[in-house]
Amino acid sequence: MGSFTSIVYKEIKELIRDPKILFGVVLLPLLLYPLMGQGLQIGQESVQTAIKGAKFSVYSDDAGNIAGILVQYITTNNTVTNIQASGLEDALVKFKDSDTVAMVYVPNGYSQNITNGLRGHVKIYGNLKNLNIAEASGVDVAGSLVSIYNYYYSLAIINQLMEVTGELGSAAVVHDPLSISYASIIKGNVIEVAPSQITSLIMSQSIMLPIMVMMMVIFAIQMAATSIALEKEQKTLETLMTLPVGRFTILGGKLAGSVVIAIAGSISYMIGFGYYTSSAFSFAPQFTSVDLTGAGIGIQPMGYLLLGIVMFVTLISALALAISLAVFADSVRSAQSLTGVLIVPLIIPAMILMFSDIEMLPPAVQWIMLAIPYTHTMLATKAAFLGNYWIIIRSIGYISVFTVIVLWIAAKIFSTERIITARFSSFSFRKRKLAPPR
Amino acid sequence: MELAIDVRDLKKSFGDFEALKGASFKVDENEVFGLIGPNGAGKTTTLRILGTLISPTSGVAEVFGHEVVKEADAVRRILSYLPEDAGAYQYLSGEEYLRFMAGFYASKKETVEEMVQAGRDISGLGDRLKDRVNGYSKGMKRRLLLARALMIKPKLAILDEPTSGLDVIQAYHVRGMIKDYAEGMGVTVLVSSHNMLEVEYLCNRVALINEGKIISEGTPEELKTRYNAVNLEQVFMEATQLG
Ligand SMILES: Nc1ncnc2c1ncn2[C@@H]1O[C@H](COP(=O)(O)OP(=O)(O)OP(=O)(O)O)[C@@H](O)[C@H]1O
Ligand SMILES: [Mg+2]
Repeated sequence: MGSFTSIVYKEIKELIRDPKILFGVVLLPLLLYPLMGQGLQIGQESVQTAIKGAKFSVYSDDAGNIAGILVQYITTNNTVTNIQASGLEDALVKFKDSDTVAMVYVPNGYSQNITNGLRGHVKIYGNLKNLNIAEASGVDVAGSLVSIYNYYYSLAIINQLMEVTGELGSAAVVHDPLSISYASIIKGNVIEVAPSQITSLIMSQSIMLPIMVMMMVIFAIQMAATSIALEKEQKTLETLMTLPVGRFTILGGKLAGSVVIAIAGSISYMIGFGYYTSSAFSFAPQFTSVDLTGAGIGIQPMGYLLLGIVMFVTLISALALAISLAVFADSVRSAQSLTGVLIVPLIIPAMILMFSDIEMLPPAVQWIMLAIPYTHTMLATKAAFLGNYWIIIRSIGYISVFTVIVLWIAAKIFSTERIITARFSSFSFRKRKLAPPR
Repeated sequence: MELAIDVRDLKKSFGDFEALKGASFKVDENEVFGLIGPNGAGKTTTLRILGTLISPTSGVAEVFGHEVVKEADAVRRILSYLPEDAGAYQYLSGEEYLRFMAGFYASKKETVEEMVQAGRDISGLGDRLKDRVNGYSKGMKRRLLLARALMIKPKLAILDEPTSGLDVIQAYHVRGMIKDYAEGMGVTVLVSSHNMLEVEYLCNRVALINEGKIISEGTPEELKTRYNAVNLEQVFMEATQLG
């Protein structure tokens, strides 16, 4: 066995036997994506059931007949508590202590106003005990109930007027003379789905993807930095450097060993991602009748292949970067705090891309973002969705060039004595200098 | 007789700090040579230069006629270096570690296995070699590392404080390993140590180093007469105080 292969072999052996690495790089992406998919699904479903079961209260301060009809309408077919109180303040106290999420309040004068041809006013109070989406949606349900009543009430009034004037047609048409419907064009295909629905689906993806890329890269960085720093901390590197083997062979062997693990990481990332996409689509019920893959959203085999390559070069670049940095650390802990700095240029693009698109940013910010190689990884994932393969290829190109430069620097550092003498957290050094003379 | 080590006016600075200020000494083939001196004297720095790990700021260091900077590859082929408090890969077993290391010195499988067998014998760890290194005690690790350094039958073994941190029994065993090997295999050994008893027992010749300079050199007997001392410890005290 040659020196190179024996280093690679040893490196893989060590990495595989390290439970942290096996978990972080290979198992985590495999588990996390499906878990995130499941988590979203469970979240959505529980909001849905919470809305369905939402309970309201009604309090009417108006004894009139017209108000009575409204209260009766709301009460029918709904779980409604009719609050009996001496006044609004008393009613609000009772509402606050009830288990209902919304209270429809009909003030005094409602019936009077309507009889006089004025608008009747209704007020809805929401009881935000836990400040969650289900509560807010429950309030909306109460609101839409009143709106529906409003609509039919309006139709009834229109009908009466039409009878008087002898106008033709239906009340609904007079109420809404126009009707609107939406469709989207994606990559030249017209599909009968509202654009907002599609973007909200893509949005949910684009929040998850940067997080995932970020986690993968962070783990890879930690892995490589730990592998070098461990050699320094355990003082195995010194031995390694006195062996009859070139420094480039050592660096190459270490990198190649990490690459094998990185490949395993990319594959498990792709598998987890594929699973996630399928489960993410399944919880969007409005899409089940539409073949989105046929319309060009969703990832084609070519997209998966390119995405795999992007993930791979991303990981290599992270490994090379981590190795160059770890050279300056003399313990695993100091290596991890040094590489912790690398997490900043990862988190910033991830955060920005989660909530906006790169094209929407000011040009200067765009350039800064594009200079960070990991931005490209995140952009590529979105591009894979839309089938913009050129963007992915551009990402691969940029990250590769970056990687080559970093590798070159790493090799330079590795071939100097700095790898032995560099002491960033020069703890042992200071300790020795401070030792009292005997 | 060939010269195993020839160090001439060796200087090494770390930034502004001059760790070696022109050290010179020679080691003959088959000798066990001891480098002794207080903490921070420059022992490890000297050994690292000879071990091709760092390069001197000026001066010459040769190992069997090969210049350590220009002919580093040639030096690495004939040398074994045991760093100060070195470790082994914790996720490998002792035997895997020996085999991994032997792979760099031999390409034929039989030769590798011969070396591993030699390592087994030297270490005296027996069946424990099948266990992972992270379960080893300090003494066991040191014995494994020393076995690694000697199993390849280097022409020169550089051992930086081979027995530091070991209990009396482990240290005794390790010293025995070094002495047997040096005498039996004709390996030249350069050791640094803080244990004067050990130096007296192991070394044919000794150099005293202080503040980056060699202040005295000779056999333990010669040094004792020179400083009118009963043992090396006293020599050490006298010499470093005179500085
Ligand atoms: N990488 C480095 N950077 C800065 N100073 C260093 C470095 N390595 C060694 N030194 C300094 O050089 C001097 C000699 O160090 P060296 O390690 O050679 O001492 P030593 O004789 O081996 O001591 P010890 O007995 O404590 O092992 C010390 O003052 C040390 O602080
Ligand atoms: Mg030392």
